[in-house]
Amino acid sequence: MSEALRALGVLIEPSCDQHAAIAEALELPPPPSADEHMAVLGLQLPPYGSIYLGAEGMVGGEARDRVAGLFRAAGLPSPCEPDSLSALCGALAALADTDRRTVAPAVDAGSVGLADPGDPAAREALADPTDPRRAVDARVRITRAALYWEHVASWMPPYLAAVRRIGTPFYVAWADTLDAVLAAEAEAVGPLQALPLHLRAAPAPDGSPAGLDALLGVLLAPVQLGAVVTRDDLARGAAALGLGLRAGERRFALRALLAQDAAGVLGWLAAEARRQAAVYGDRSEIARWWRGRAWRGAHWLDGLARDAADRTPAPPA
Amino acid sequence: MRDPKQLAARVSAARQAVEARGETFYPGASRIHLAAFPPKERWDDWVEVDARTPDRRERHYMLVPTTCFNCESACGLLAYVDRDGLEVRKLEGNPEHPGSRGRNCAKGPATLNQVTDPDRILAPLRRAGERGEGRWAAVSWDEALDDIAARIRRAITERRGNEVMYHVGRPGEDGFTERVLAAWGVDGHNSHTNICSSSGRAGYHYWMGFDRPSPDYASADVIVLVSAHLESGHYFNPHAQRIVEARQRGAKLIVLDVRLSNTASQADHWIAPQPGSEAAIFLAIAHHVIATGRHDRGFIERWWNWQEYMAVALGRPGASFAEFEAELATMWSRYTFEFAAREAGVDAAALRAIADVIAGAGTRLAAHVWRSAAAGNLGGWQVSRTLFLLNALLGAVACEGGTYPNGWNKFVPRPIHTPPHPHTWNELTWPVEYPLAMNELSFLLPHLVGDGRGALEVYFTRVYNPVWTNPDGFSWIEMLTDPAKIRLHVALTPTWNETAQYADYVLPMGVGSERHDLHSYETHDAQWLGFRQPVLRAARERLGAPVADTRQANPGEVWEENELWIELSWRIDPDGALGIRRHFESRERPGEKLGVDEYYRYIFEHSVPGLPARAAADGLAPLDFMRRHGAFEVRRGIGPVHAEAVPAAELDDAVTDALGRVFTRAPKPAPENIVPVPTPDGDADGRRRAGIAVDGRVVRGFPTPSGRLELWSRTLAEWGWPEYALPTYIESHVHPRALAADQLVLIPTFRVPVQVHTRSGNAKWLDEIAHTNPLWIHPRDAARIGVDTGGLVRVETEIGHFVVKAWVTEGIRPGVVACSHHMGRWKLAAAGDRGQRQVMATVSLDREAGREAGRDGARWTMRRQHGVAPYASADPDTRRIWWSDAGVHQNLTFPVHPDPISGMHCWHQAVRVRRAEPGDRHADIFVDTERSRAAYRAWLARTRPAHQVSPDGTRRPYWLLRPLKPAREVYALPGAPDRKP
Repeated sequence: MSEALRALGVLIEPSCDQHAAIAEALELPPPPSADEHMAVLGLQLPPYGSIYLGAEGMVGGEARDRVAGLFRAAGLPSPCEPDSLSALCGALAALADTDRRTVAPAVDAGSVGLADPGDPAAREALADPTDPRRAVDARVRITRAALYWEHVASWMPPYLAAVRRIGTPFYVAWADTLDAVLAAEAEAVGPLQALPLHLRAAPAPDGSPAGLDALLGVLLAPVQLGAVVTRDDLARGAAALGLGLRAGERRFALRALLAQDAAGVLGWLAAEARRQAAVYGDRSEIARWWRGRAWRGAHWLDGLARDAADRTPAPPA
Repeated sequence: MRDPKQLAARVSAARQAVEARGETFYPGASRIHLAAFPPKERWDDWVEVDARTPDRRERHYMLVPTTCFNCESACGLLAYVDRDGLEVRKLEGNPEHPGSRGRNCAKGPATLNQVTDPDRILAPLRRAGERGEGRWAAVSWDEALDDIAARIRRAITERRGNEVMYHVGRPGEDGFTERVLAAWGVDGHNSHTNICSSSGRAGYHYWMGFDRPSPDYASADVIVLVSAHLESGHYFNPHAQRIVEARQRGAKLIVLDVRLSNTASQADHWIAPQPGSEAAIFLAIAHHVIATGRHDRGFIERWWNWQEYMAVALGRPGASFAEFEAELATMWSRYTFEFAAREAGVDAAALRAIADVIAGAGTRLAAHVWRSAAAGNLGGWQVSRTLFLLNALLGAVACEGGTYPNGWNKFVPRPIHTPPHPHTWNELTWPVEYPLAMNELSFLLPHLVGDGRGALEVYFTRVYNPVWTNPDGFSWIEMLTDPAKIRLHVALTPTWNETAQYADYVLPMGVGSERHDLHSYETHDAQWLGFRQPVLRAARERLGAPVADTRQANPGEVWEENELWIELSWRIDPDGALGIRRHFESRERPGEKLGVDEYYRYIFEHSVPGLPARAAADGLAPLDFMRRHGAFEVRRGIGPVHAEAVPAAELDDAVTDALGRVFTRAPKPAPENIVPVPTPDGDADGRRRAGIAVDGRVVRGFPTPSGRLELWSRTLAEWGWPEYALPTYIESHVHPRALAADQLVLIPTFRVPVQVHTRSGNAKWLDEIAHTNPLWIHPRDAARIGVDTGGLVRVETEIGHFVVKAWVTEGIRPGVVACSHHMGRWKLAAAGDRGQRQVMATVSLDREAGREAGRDGARWTMRRQHGVAPYASADPDTRRIWWSDAGVHQNLTFPVHPDPISGMHCWHQAVRVRRAEPGDRHADIFVDTERSRAAYRAWLARTRPAHQVSPDGTRRPYWLLRPLKPAREVYALPGAPDRKP
């Protein structure tokens, strides 16, 4: 399984000649051109966990520090961009390769600790000075599970849904395959012990934002709103509302849309959040969290839309 | 969609199929790791779009690996050779290189600047006027070599072989030229090491036999660096990248550096001690480790020479380990944190904090000192010795995350010919006053020659610039301009330098992409071999055009040293009568000259384990494999060699002595790896040392006289220095007690990260980044002196002064000033355009008349006529030079300070710093070389010469390492009683 994970991670890096053989092995369509890669992953859906898990909705910050911290705590070299999905897939694959349950299933799984470091058996295994092998095995398992649940699975529902929504055929197929491989990986690492910290700590939208900038901050932070708003989504919304879409980065474009028709845009975003919630499904506790957060975001947007409509002066008779 | 496991199996199968063809499946690190490497199967024709053309024009490159020549790290480079016109367009990292792993510092890619440098020397030149007059005439290689060879031949046949000397900066290769000198039968090797790393080496040498450490940084939990090693140390790139990995993993970094260097800024704990106090700090930490019971008792009991210490030093043979531990408990008890804090001028609490971090490292302590404090201070060798004491106490030796002996992490293959040790001893490089010197007393040469101890018939300076790099450069100029002392000076150099100005011949040598060498260095727990090659020669050969002489492929008439030495050796001994030529003959074509292809082909086919099989897997001959990959990892995971069992076959008629040393009559197997290893004596009955007995087994042990890590050095005790036989603290010559009230300590040893002495001066990119060396001075000192940043100060040393701009900064402790040694390049006005105009100022040099008519005096002044300026050349960038300052050549004003034991020049200076006087100009220099002579004599008086202290009538302990080790019989002191060495 690790080889499939590694290969899927590599395929979201900028295209090069080697990608053709990798895509073929994964039974994917021919890999995209550099322009297509830029259009989908460069400009719309950068594959960095911190964008989807951080309260700011941007690369870096505490969300990235958390995953870097996991690498450090596990005694592994932290990649330069530790929250890159490519690096995360590579790290998961490397951990799977060193997990003796994977490479030597005959090893008694019960003897090497559990995935939850809070579990007394795991703690005992980690601290066992008489059996370094047992401690190392426990560390690998715990790290693998933590990396998977906390930093990969935690943002896949909205991210893969967005790729399927706006992606080209290659990326749609890639998202389907990654989804399947990650589901298989979930079985290997063991069940989720607790909701990922990123999600538990995520601020929920509530009340009236302190200003337009604060509102934009929530709308463009997936972990707050529960939905991913891409450039294509904004174009679709503008077309649906008959508004003009100004060229520029998302914050600029959304600000312009709100200036034209705040109530309409907020209402459309509420509907969009519900549409996205509907595709998250309820396959896992994480997916359910995202669904719930999107519903909450939609409800919050409904209120803002009403307020905006109330403030909008009636058209002249 | 298939089942994920089936998909994974398909990918695995595809990967295996691609990699079985020697090709790349995964494209490797890309933007995720800020690096991208062309897959090696496309190195023959790699296509890139030319960034400087608007029409996306494709460029086709052949990628040819080589090894960087700008420092000793031997990092891999990949030359991008334009297939149209066969020119090198750029150099990047070689991802196939096990040490550098595709990464480089700024100096590697800047090799391109050196290739295209418009000021480089492209043809042999012969002096046409007086030395230093700046007049040169073209000369053919044949004329030059015939002249030089005739002089060398005459010296050898007249038994003046030691008048032939080869003075080398960083060798950049492993032993080729030493073997050339051995073939000539001369003891003529003269390295720069005593101005560089001798004291750092000595401290390690006395502990473990090997003279340098190989810290396993990447796996360490605690890293201790004395100096700015991470930023600009000797192994900057390979070590820095592993230190960074360790830090990403959570390792703690402790840095001792008087400056807030870039390295110190990255530290978890930064200590800025009084220069010279470092050993006191380490002894306090050692005592703390012992007092808190965190030393590794099992390791110490097995691997330290505590029994010898108890038996010989304390006269208690048969003492138990418990009795030794009782001694250990009080051995350094006077070194309290409070004592160390007073010496270092830092808080005791800060020292205690780092002591606890170090004590908690267990066996994962990687530590390194190379130059810095070891190179700066009298007794600096005790800095490395006390630092390694911490590793030895914690058992952090030759284990994962610990510090290895370098010889176990480096590979030197056996060459095609191995000439015997020369049967002669050169008193000009190994004078009798310094029996324990780690390396040649190279920087004393003008004084030793001035003493009348000898003269030189042929003096080679090889990519080395003693006038500029060494202390006391005016004494060098005095020697080099005196034909009675130096009868012929040959400068082998790619580029003009201060010393070459005074040469008789200037012979152009290739830069890193224009020469062959083999080079291996300790970068982690592995052994690898790097292959430097002239990339245009390799490119032509790949295109099917054989090249017999590297000059055919290099720019102009630039040559490489391997072919030069072979050719010169044949001219010295054309008929083989001297027994020299046979060491440079082909085996494939007996009686004919050895070529470099055959030389390396032999090594790669016969002397590098695993390489032939690896090459065959790619369908290549070993030489072709190395020409295409540039490096080969021979082994990894070497581990604790000292604990390896000695095979029974090596234990014929073995005996074990009272100290557990095991001796055997079995002949020593020829090692695959001929890395220099100390040679401890055998027993009195002629057996050789095979190992030591530990826990009932015979194991390899360490190459020290005792076979163990030597806490106590019998060598030091018996060779006149019993007070230093244990790791201890020696007060520096710049200790506060040695300073007058108005003196400060000058730190002249630090580097800037992008420069490396003379060697990088012809790299425009590096010169643009770093081209000056202001004096770091603390605001408190600046206020006392009355100077602001940019203001001129006069720095007065024992023999003169220099004038420099101040840089007022809190990044240095009060009472200490610092000036980088990388700047202050100059050329004589008479040299005209012959100089490195991107980095050299043009100066006038005046020597006062002597007291006697017609004789020169000893008072020298240097004044800058003009700084660096734009100029027209083949490179349009030289018209864009925006800087004028080239820094100050401070080394001219330093007297020689040879440590009486290690022989290392102790670089730190006691100076007075005051505001510049009216008329002073930036970069002014004044020196009185009579005072230089007085300083030389004063430091010579500190020595304990071999004829006074030698315990066995020899010049030097035979077991100590020595470059180009002579035959054993010449170790006997002349006139000494006839005692068996």
